[in-house]
Amino acid sequence: MAPEPGQLSSLSNPLATVDQLSTSSSQLDGVPADLESSLRFAGAQLTQAAGILLRLPQEIIAQAIVIFQRFYIGSEGGSFRINALKDVSAASLYMTAKISFLPQSTRSILNVYAYLLSPTSPLRQSPEGSTGKERPDAESYYLSEGSYHSARATLLQTESILLRSISFITQVILPHHIALTYLQTLGVLPPSPTAESSALATRTLAHLNTALFSPQLLYLTHQPPALAVSAIYLAAREIGVKLPSTEWWEVFDVDRETLGFLVVGLGSCGGWIQSERENWSATTCPLTLDELEREIKRRVVENG
Amino acid sequence: MDFSRGTPCATNINPEPLNHRPSHNTLKRQVTDQLVAPRDVLNYERPIKKLKSGQLLASQGMDKRHPSSFQQLEKLGEGTYATVFKGRNRQTGELVALKEIHLDSEEGTPSTAIREISLMKELKHDNIVSLHDVIHTENKLMLVFEYMDKDLKKYMDSRGSGGQLDYITIKSFMHQLLQGIAFCHENRVLHRDLKPQNLLINNKGQLKLADFGLARAFGIPVNTFSNEVVTLWYRAPDVLLGSRTYNTSIDIWSAGCIMAEMYTGRPLFPGTTNEDQLQKIFRIMGTPSERSWPGISQFPEYKSSFHVYATQDLRIFLPQIDQVGLDLISRMLQLRPEMRVGALEALSHIWFRDLPQLRQQQAQQAQQIQMGGQGSMMMGGSSGGGYGVPVYQ
Repeated sequence: MAPEPGQLSSLSNPLATVDQLSTSSSQLDGVPADLESSLRFAGAQLTQAAGILLRLPQEIIAQAIVIFQRFYIGSEGGSFRINALKDVSAASLYMTAKISFLPQSTRSILNVYAYLLSPTSPLRQSPEGSTGKERPDAESYYLSEGSYHSARATLLQTESILLRSISFITQVILPHHIALTYLQTLGVLPPSPTAESSALATRTLAHLNTALFSPQLLYLTHQPPALAVSAIYLAAREIGVKLPSTEWWEVFDVDRETLGFLVVGLGSCGGWIQSERENWSATTCPLTLDELEREIKRRVVENG
Repeated sequence: MDFSRGTPCATNINPEPLNHRPSHNTLKRQVTDQLVAPRDVLNYERPIKKLKSGQLLASQGMDKRHPSSFQQLEKLGEGTYATVFKGRNRQTGELVALKEIHLDSEEGTPSTAIREISLMKELKHDNIVSLHDVIHTENKLMLVFEYMDKDLKKYMDSRGSGGQLDYITIKSFMHQLLQGIAFCHENRVLHRDLKPQNLLINNKGQLKLADFGLARAFGIPVNTFSNEVVTLWYRAPDVLLGSRTYNTSIDIWSAGCIMAEMYTGRPLFPGTTNEDQLQKIFRIMGTPSERSWPGISQFPEYKSSFHVYATQDLRIFLPQIDQVGLDLISRMLQLRPEMRVGALEALSHIWFRDLPQLRQQQAQQAQQIQMGGQGSMMMGGSSGGGYGVPVYQ
């Protein structure tokens, strides 16, 4: 039974409009498109890393990343030059955790972000340069009472701006549990999983998590069932699990065209992440407003 | 589609840029930062089947409102996290209820407010109070709701019959209450805090569910929220026993308690503490045992020392109720959650079968009264307890 528009649904999310995808506040503020994609990626990565350090379940982290992405789209949305990605990432994670079953204190959130933004942060070091054995310099990420209070004011103010900007649309339906249901429906996830079926499920979920980093903003452009079906299709092909030879995706209301697009989209995520790592191996992707301004200035100078 | 936001209120524009960073719309942004939600939170439409076109994240129409668009009238009440005022839209003269929420300097926007707004924006139903607008200023949030005259508690008190309502009003209110609950449950939302103070009544005799501060979508596990205070009197026994897996049936228990209260004018189980509340319930419904409720001893709050009461006949406590109504309320007030009737099933109970007929009779009588020159429009007639009652008794 199809839910009526305007009602809560367990299978669909509000999606971005074509206009919201083609114009962004950041671009209007002079952020080049390729840098914008890098900033989105860096934001998703920062949110994921913070979520892991806070020991939050992936469900909450994934929702926070989608909220973060919703904020920066469209000409009415947020701009990376006005609201720093580190602040919006922290506010997304704080707000998402707050309305979930695992609310986090502002102190925990800010401690983690102070660490991740400090020079000792793993996000600040190129993968080649780190020996992994160095003792982190605790002083560089210690958040004094004074800095904590000002950071908290910024966090709460950003939360306000975020909520207004996404007009309180905080629900994010994730494709993960839908994918597991579909795997069961397809008969490839028996109650007591075999090595192959659990590999398939793991691979499917891995694709869905990777898709959170997609430069195509797949979570803002496609409904959860389509993401779930495509991740299953791709994972089954990679692992060599045989799925029904009929057009089974039609059963889940996904057409061949969408499936084809998403399979390519999901498949290309790995390559994109790799190229991002390489592009930012010498420097680090700007996470603060000042770093972003320096990067934009550097590009202007470089391009004459 | 028009993306423009229209002209903002001129009085609050500060032409100085906020900071020195460039912006294509600094001015617009400044104003919106100070005043309002930048995307209309109301006319939001969710694309369900239209996957190719018409995908919206938020509606583009921008309905700019400033707190001063509403004239603040008297205070209506103080909630757990907000103050509610009566208000008037200065432009249209329409009455509204303004729920003012102060933003916490330590935690920011209260989670209850975030949940309430995100749910209420989408729960559009005749029996759910409608959220017209959200106005976000620097230190407070103002929710603009449709105006309702009274809550059920005040309505009962105002009837001058010791709080008791007449037969047809009870039936009509129960039907509307269950319709509101059914709609929530179909949309995967638990209200979790149903009580007479959260049911609003207008002078057309409509009843609407309000205060979704504790409501939540039930796809999410609900543990750790047990510390949030929910009125004890309407709380289901499984919740009181410490269940962490409660579901839609908790709202049905509350509805049953409210139905009894409409008959007697008094709460059925007015407990003071968790333990006292359980005892008040057991005294009437009987103390459950492992035999009547397999698994009960596993609940965290279960005590083998519970005083053992025998099950009483509900009729003793509800002398006014008819046999069919008694059957319905007994189905709602089942100790075991899985035995409780669902909202949709309750709506098709035969007790409601004569409701259209009763409403018609009532309308005719109201018309006659009006023609007789006494224009009382109040539901159920101004006398209370009049028609309807003889139907089953």
